[in-house]
Order: sequence, then C-alpha cells, then structure tokens
Amino acid sequence: MAERVFITGMGMITAIGDNVAENLERLRQQRSGLGFTSYIDTIYKQVLPVAEVKHNNDALFALAGITPREGYTRTTLLGLAAMREALRQAGIADIQSAPTGFINASTVGGMCDTEKVYFDIINPEKNGTFLQYIDTLDCADCTQRIADIVGFSEHIATISTACSSSANALMFGARMIKQGFLPRMVCGGTEALTRFTLNGFNSLKNIDKQFCRPFDQQRTGLNLGEGAAYLVLESESFARANNSRILAEFTGYCNANEAFHPTSPSPDGDGAYEAMKSALAMSGRTLGEVDYINVHGTATLNNDVSEGKALERLFGSGVPRFSSTKPFTGHTLAAAGAIEAIYAVLAIQQGIIFPNLNFKEKMEELNITPVTELMEGVSVNNVISNSFGFGGNNASLVISKYEG
Amino acid sequence: MEELKSKLKAQIIEALNLQDTKPEDIDDNAPLFGEGLGLDSIDSLELMVLLERQYHIKVEDPREGRKILQSVQSMADFIQSKQPA
Amino acid sequence: MAAISPQTTFQGDIFSAPLVHTDKNLLACVEPDYKPFIPANSLRRMTRVLKIGLTTALQCINGSGVETIGPIVTGTGKGSLQDTEKFIREIEQYKETALNPTPFIQSTYNSVNGLIALQVKGTAYNNTFVHRGFSFENALLDSMMLLAEGAPNTLTGAFEEITAEHFYIKSRIGFWKDAPTDNRALYETLTPGSIAGEGATFFLLTGTPAPNSKAALTGFKMLYKPAEAKLAAALAEMAAGADLVLTGRNGDSRYEHYYQQLDTLLPGIPQLPFKHLCGEHDTAGAFGMWLGAQILHAQQVPAQWFPMLKDIPATAGKILLYNHFYGEQHAIMVLERV
Repeated sequence: MAERVFITGMGMITAIGDNVAENLERLRQQRSGLGFTSYIDTIYKQVLPVAEVKHNNDALFALAGITPREGYTRTTLLGLAAMREALRQAGIADIQSAPTGFINASTVGGMCDTEKVYFDIINPEKNGTFLQYIDTLDCADCTQRIADIVGFSEHIATISTACSSSANALMFGARMIKQGFLPRMVCGGTEALTRFTLNGFNSLKNIDKQFCRPFDQQRTGLNLGEGAAYLVLESESFARANNSRILAEFTGYCNANEAFHPTSPSPDGDGAYEAMKSALAMSGRTLGEVDYINVHGTATLNNDVSEGKALERLFGSGVPRFSSTKPFTGHTLAAAGAIEAIYAVLAIQQGIIFPNLNFKEKMEELNITPVTELMEGVSVNNVISNSFGFGGNNASLVISKYEG
Repeated sequence: MEELKSKLKAQIIEALNLQDTKPEDIDDNAPLFGEGLGLDSIDSLELMVLLERQYHIKVEDPREGRKILQSVQSMADFIQSKQPA
Repeated sequence: MAAISPQTTFQGDIFSAPLVHTDKNLLACVEPDYKPFIPANSLRRMTRVLKIGLTTALQCINGSGVETIGPIVTGTGKGSLQDTEKFIREIEQYKETALNPTPFIQSTYNSVNGLIALQVKGTAYNNTFVHRGFSFENALLDSMMLLAEGAPNTLTGAFEEITAEHFYIKSRIGFWKDAPTDNRALYETLTPGSIAGEGATFFLLTGTPAPNSKAALTGFKMLYKPAEAKLAAALAEMAAGADLVLTGRNGDSRYEHYYQQLDTLLPGIPQLPFKHLCGEHDTAGAFGMWLGAQILHAQQVPAQWFPMLKDIPATAGKILLYNHFYGEQHAIMVLERV
C-alpha cells in the first residue's frame, strides 16, 4: 500500500501578498492584484494589465534573505522568498535534517533578466557583468540557485509544461514519495513577468485589455501575473515520526493529454474531463464530496468553454461551487498550479470559498456560473484544482481535509 | 483587384510556408481554413500579422478576423475597403 | 529506440557507418528527410529541433512494434533555441507589434511533447523535464515510476539543438574549447571546454522484457553536485559485474578529475567514451544510453567510431554508463543484456 501524502508547509509570493497570510487577507478583502507594470520594459505598460509583485529586485533580495548579487534573476528571487516561507512554516530549520527533494517548475527561466541584456550578450563588442546572466536563461538556473542557497542535495528537477508546470511538479513529488524514493519533497514553481511572455500571449490575441473576466460571456482573454509558491509534501510515516503539523492531504492527481491542438483546448474539454475524473477516482472521493473547484479559468475564449463543458459533463446538474482566482493573481503560468493548490488548502482550513471577480454575464455555451461573492463558514473538505497548458497538457489535483 | 489578389496569394504562401502550393492553386473564393488549404487557428493569427505588416491594417478581434480571413477574395475586399480611395 | 545525432544513427547499419568528423567544435545532426514522417501541413511551421524530436519519436514507435502509446515523457535542457531566439529578435525588430505567434508557441519547452501526442493521439500522461544534465534523466525516472504504477509502456526521450547564436553565447562563458578541435582528437589534449553537439534520442520502455527488447536498465542514480566520496561510493556499488564502461568524457580539463576517479576505481574494465560522437549537450546522456543498448543488443561495438582506441572490446554483457554535465549533474546507469 503506497503511502499517503500530506501537505505540511506552504510559502508564496504573488501580486496580492508576500506570504500566505497576506494572500489570504487580500482574497478575503476581494482586492485584485491587477494593475500596470512598473518593471517590464514594454510599449504595453499602460495598455495590458498584469498582476505584478509590488517590489523591485532590491526589495526581493531582502525577502529572499540574501544580499544583492549578480546572476540572481527575479525568477530566482521570487522562488527563494516563497521557499523560505514554506520551509519556515513546515518547521524545517535545516533541510538536511531529512532527505528532501526539490521539484521546481518554470516556463521561461530567467528570461525576465536575460531579455534585458540579450543583445549585449550576442554582441562581441560588449563586455560586462551582464555576462553573469548568460546561464540564467534556462529553467534549471533558478532551481539550482534556490537549491544551493537552501541546501538541497538530494533529488532535484525542473518541469516545464507551460501553464500546468507546477501542478505537474506537485504530482511528480507526490509520486516520488509514494514510491519510496524520498520521505519529503518541496514542490512548486516560480514565474516572473517578462516582455517575452507578454508579447507571446499578445501575439496569440489572448490578453484582455480590461481586468480578466473568467467564465463571463464578454471575456476576451487573460492577464499575466507573476509569483512563486512551494508546498512541502511528506509521507504519512515521516510526518508522524517527525510530528509534523499536517495542513491537508494530497489525495488525488492526474495528468492527461488532449492531443487536440498545439495551443487550444478541445471544445468539449476532453482533457479537462479526463484529468478531473481520474484525479477524483484516485482520491477515493465521490462527485458529491467535492465542495469547491478552483478552476484554471484563464478567461480566454477557448479555455473557459472547454473547462466549463468538462465540468458539466463530469458533474451533470450537480456542478460544485467553482471560481477562478486569476482575477486576483493574474495567470502566473508555471507558478499557477502551486499558488492555486495553496488557495485550495486555505479554502479547506478557513472554510471559505473565493469569489470569481469581474463576472457579470453567464456564458451562452454553459448553464453554470462561478461563485461571485466571498463565502465564509462553509464546510470545505475536498477541492479540485485545475491547471491546463499548451500542448494539451491537463493536470488536476485533489486536495482534502486531513482527518487523521 | 486582380493584382492585389495575386500579390496576396504569394504573400500567404510565403508567410505560411506553403511549400507545395503555387499562387494559381489557390481559388479566390475557396475557404482558406478547414477543407480548403487546411489552415488552422494559428495560421489565422499569422494572416492577421501579414495584414498588419504588409498592409498596416490591424485586426483586434479574433472573431472579426475569422470573417475577413474566409478566402483570398474576402481578404482582398477587406484590404481594399481600408485603403484610401 | 531511435536517434538522430551528428553520426548517421537514424537509418542504416551503425556498425558500418563511418565516423562523421569536423574541427568546427560543433557537431550538428545528420538530418533525415522528414516528409515520410510528418504531414506537409504540419511540417511547414516546424523549426529544426521540433522536426528532429518528433521524427525520432515516430521512428522509435515504428520500430517498437507497440500499437498503443502510453505516457510520453521527455527531457530537454534548452528546448527550441531557434524559436526562442527568433521571438526575442522579432520583439525588438517589430517593436512589440505585429508579432507572429509561432516562434513563441514553439519556444515552449513542451511543444515537442505536444506534437508527438497530437500525431500519435497520445492522450495519456505527458511531461517534460528541463534541467540541464538531469533533463533526460528525470524523464527516465518518471518513466520508471509510471511503469511501476502500471503503465503498459512509455515513450521516453530527449532532444537538444545548438544554434550558431547559442554556440557563440556559451563560448563567452567557457563552454567550448578555444582551439579548433577535431572530434576524433577530443580526448588527446585536455584544455578548458568541450565541443558542442545536439541530437534527439527516444526509447520505448516497458516494465517487463519483450521479444524485441534491446537492453534492460537495471540500475540508475542521479547525483547533484556530489562530494567525490559520495560519487565514488555510488560508482563502485553500481559497477559490480560490469564488463564495459561508457563515459561522458569530453576533453574538458576542469572536470576531467571525475572521469579519472572512475579510471582509478575500475582499472580493469574497458571504457568507451561517446562525446566525440554526439558532442556535449544537456541531454547527451540519452545518446550514451542509446549506444549502450545498441552494443548490448547487437553484441558488437561499432569499432569504426573509435579510431583513437587501441583495444576495443568485442562485446559486453553489462554496461556501466557514467556521465555528468559540467560537473553539476552526475548520472550513473547500469544496462544489461536481455
């Protein structure tokens, strides 16, 4: 019998807060983190809203707990800040106290900093400290810098499956625990806003010039965000022997591919349906036991139709309460799965369901609408968290209340 | 108009790298998407880029784009309607 | 299994294929005709590494005899560099307006996985690891877990490309040798840096031996920046019974001591280095595994590829493969004859 996997620590930084407590407070206040960028060099500064972390890199060095130095990208610093909190919350003073793996997720690595010096890097006439950023472009750079500062020496990996990256990181970590490779894993992702991704999604005509409106008839696209989030996962036997404080149980997961189109989901949500269905089956929970779904809900034309159809197909007339928290945090790509997994834990711990901001009008293709008001005092025992990405990559996680 | 359409066909072939297609293979009124040339939604975005780069016409709404990009004829009509007379 | 590499590994008999050599410090892939593999309508948009990766995966499936493909798991250190570079350049050139989305889409690290899934209708698990010298290796670990969890098979592979621009970029931080070095002479002079390479390698893996299995992976370990003692202990333990060692030796004086440690630990076992065949890149370890499996399956060593060696072992029953990427990610595998 494979071990159960528990969540014993969480750390995060997003546009709505530098830690988990601040995120929760802003979710309760229903205050979005969307606005305009202060740090990206783009012609869309005042045109395309983003959910940016409200600190420059110098301030992030302080949050990351290191003195300013070359070679540390915003991606790394956001990740370090979230990592510090996750370890602190799990009561891990020394990562070497037990064999611990680190599974990170990133979509464009240190592009946020390398894109600023790229044309100097390829210019033989130019020389300077920017050369220290050359190796930060790939996705492993942030993982290794975080690992080296914190002191991870066991298994490390970086996953990149676009918008589902950190959901896959959590899944991979949980599977390593279940198969007995390591008793403790820290999993999540980090993502900094870049001119590269902003222009990328804009070239796909997928960005809303207003604040994004998930599941609304008038939605026209997503808003990008940045942030990082990590969760500490422990095997049941380790958590008990270690006397860890258990925040929630990670009961189910599934990754399924759509094989439909390079960037678009299938209109009927085949991948989303399969991922949710299989994750729920693994968790041993019934359809009726799902209390809340934190949907992928990017507010692109295609995603919300596809995901909504999948919800209706799976749950029939009993679709649970659902909302997208992307109007708070923006779409944080590689970090989204882990950020929203933490929100799932908060929903369970606090008995709270977050509102889907900016929703006004039901989509004509669907019969369902998201939760629009903050709900407190609700019994939340099982949450599904969805993350769907380019390449048809669909991941669903089931997070459940810990009941001994 | 005929000149515009043949120019457009050559530009489409180049932009979408339709290696085995010649301008004369493309019928003015044949659908570009699905059945016809077998183009998809990414091609439609690339064709909007073509309109913007070559003709300085910006199509903001992808839904509007689909109508304009039905065929070479509809693209040419749209371009002409946007050109100063 | 299948490989597109700087050697003629994709089609034909590798035991008679001559060694491809150059003194450009960059070993580029010998590319096949892609048209028999990829529909023209898909091919027109694809850049090089997408074609290389997808075609290798398809050839691997064709040769495996497996009809239904299960999970698809890949590793790539850098993904499509050509698309990444193009999109950065176009953002600058067109001042962030009228941008073609294709290079952005294709620069996504999991785009090759998506294309494979699309073409073979692979709707099972799909994952991509992007961690330098642990990219392919994590894909392999993931696949082994999937097989243990009951997957009937996995399509597991790696792909990497080197562009002229990226070659220059990495030359600025000492990745390559300064002097033009013929790959046949890669191991002769130890100087800082190696020679660049690229390639795609795919394997169809099953949890139990099949009639056409090429080799068995019986031991596997990844070590991140290990202390010498920890590495030595792992190598010694895994080398038990091995009669051939494949090494990722690459002529780089800065990291040669790891391979010298291996020489000291295992003095009597013959060694074959493989980086003069594929060049140094993030997922070269996958090429090493492919070569090991070829040797075990054919019970023959492609001797013509090793003109620098005096004594070439005729065959092998158990292979220890040791590779590291610039001293950071170390991987050890044990391959055995089925």
